[in-house]
Amino acid sequence: MHTPVTAAQGMAIGAFDLSKAFGSRKVLRGISLEIAAGDFVSIVGKSGCGKSTLLRLLIGLEPASSGRIEGVERSAARLVFQEPRLLPWANVARNVAVGLGADARTPEMARSVTAALRDVGLEARGGDWPAMLSGGQRQRVALARALVGHPRLLALDEPLGALDALTRIEMQRLLEGVWRTQGFTAVLVTHDVAEAIALSNRLLVIDHGIIALDLPIELPRPRRRGDPAFAALEGLVLDHLLSS
Amino acid sequence: MSGAARRWAIWIGPLVLLVLWQGASSFGAIPARILPAPIAVLQAGLRLTLSGSLPHDIAVSSARALVGLVIGGSVGFALGLLTGVSRLAQALLDPSLQMIRNIPHLALLPLVIIWFGVEESARIFLVALGVFFPIYLNTYHGIRTVDPQLIEMGRVYGMSRWDLFGKIILPGALASIFVGLRFALGIMWLTLIVAETLAASSGIGHMAIQAREFVQTDVVMLSIVIYALLGKLADSATRLLEEHWLAWSPAYAKGG
Repeated sequence: MHTPVTAAQGMAIGAFDLSKAFGSRKVLRGISLEIAAGDFVSIVGKSGCGKSTLLRLLIGLEPASSGRIEGVERSAARLVFQEPRLLPWANVARNVAVGLGADARTPEMARSVTAALRDVGLEARGGDWPAMLSGGQRQRVALARALVGHPRLLALDEPLGALDALTRIEMQRLLEGVWRTQGFTAVLVTHDVAEAIALSNRLLVIDHGIIALDLPIELPRPRRRGDPAFAALEGLVLDHLLSS
Repeated sequence: MSGAARRWAIWIGPLVLLVLWQGASSFGAIPARILPAPIAVLQAGLRLTLSGSLPHDIAVSSARALVGLVIGGSVGFALGLLTGVSRLAQALLDPSLQMIRNIPHLALLPLVIIWFGVEESARIFLVALGVFFPIYLNTYHGIRTVDPQLIEMGRVYGMSRWDLFGKIILPGALASIFVGLRFALGIMWLTLIVAETLAASSGIGHMAIQAREFVQTDVVMLSIVIYALLGKLADSATRLLEEHWLAWSPAYAKGG
């Protein structure tokens, strides 16, 4: 892993009384939330509960119907989508360079691209077409594209949802590793409770547009899924999700 | 079967056919008036090449085809881009163009002759009109079907409008634009054959019509072969371009 640069300090963000409606349908109803710099927060909830909408509002992709957001600097925030969304006609290195907002023309930019690819374990694949990679590798390239600009806020919208179980665990380890070395603030939307518990310091359950549960997760890292404390937390959150 | 063996194997069929044809002609089974022997066609080609008239006719026909393609293709491409990226342009232009598209462009031939006479401009106009529609339609369609998720990604990652166009929209539409180009090339030769056959004083089509007057079946046959070769050449050139520009796609990669 390359050494974190000073710019990659986490971003502290806050949302105050945030609401969002699509037509007459209220997706979020007055959410207030503060996230500390460098924290790792997971947002879980049933399909259609508004968790992805909250993430998109937080990073300024969509305007809120009411309420305000503080501390978010758009240019230092990056989003990883559920799908890799790589440009099929650009090789891996040029796809990563998209995260720099320009082609990697200067040697410094090319070095950043190489470093980001090394962070996700794909330094040898810079010249390949995305079509030559596996699904997990493509999502790693998408992660490198998000990391290459040294974001201070990384928003992840179910980034591992489409991967098989083993690849998903590998990617979770990778994600935890880069978060710990680079110190950005991470906000992960996921439907996988175990994933949220494995990765985050804090877990939010969104239900019917409000925060139904705000749970600190203080298990020591690295976390093991078989661990009784892990299983107890997972049971607690699942009960909450299923009873609501 | 290995790749090399298959490359040779595809020649077997045409070769057998040529040998049978030559044999049937030599033994008098096919009269030369109906169908000249392959060797006779070859000799006619050699004779006209040495006299300089064949290279001249090929050059004239190719130039007409190319000029018409460039004019009709660039107008079609430009309008396709415009209607592809702008809803307003789409609303203003596309319905009319779709309506005109239903007129077979060769039906305009008498009108075109009235407008332009039997001049060079008439033939170029017809070719341009013929290639316009496939290139327009496929450019427009290609741009409209670019993956919206990629466009959203570009926006989220702060791409300018120009970058969005150059890095996502245009490359995303390229495969479709090539489909349009290949259709256009077919229409280009077809239009030229009709235009040259009906009204021209030079070119391959003119050569064929003149030969018909003197019942030179070998020269008529030669002109057909030349048209086929020119068409094949244009198609192969497009294939090479596709292999180069669409190398990223498993569907177009070399050997795929």
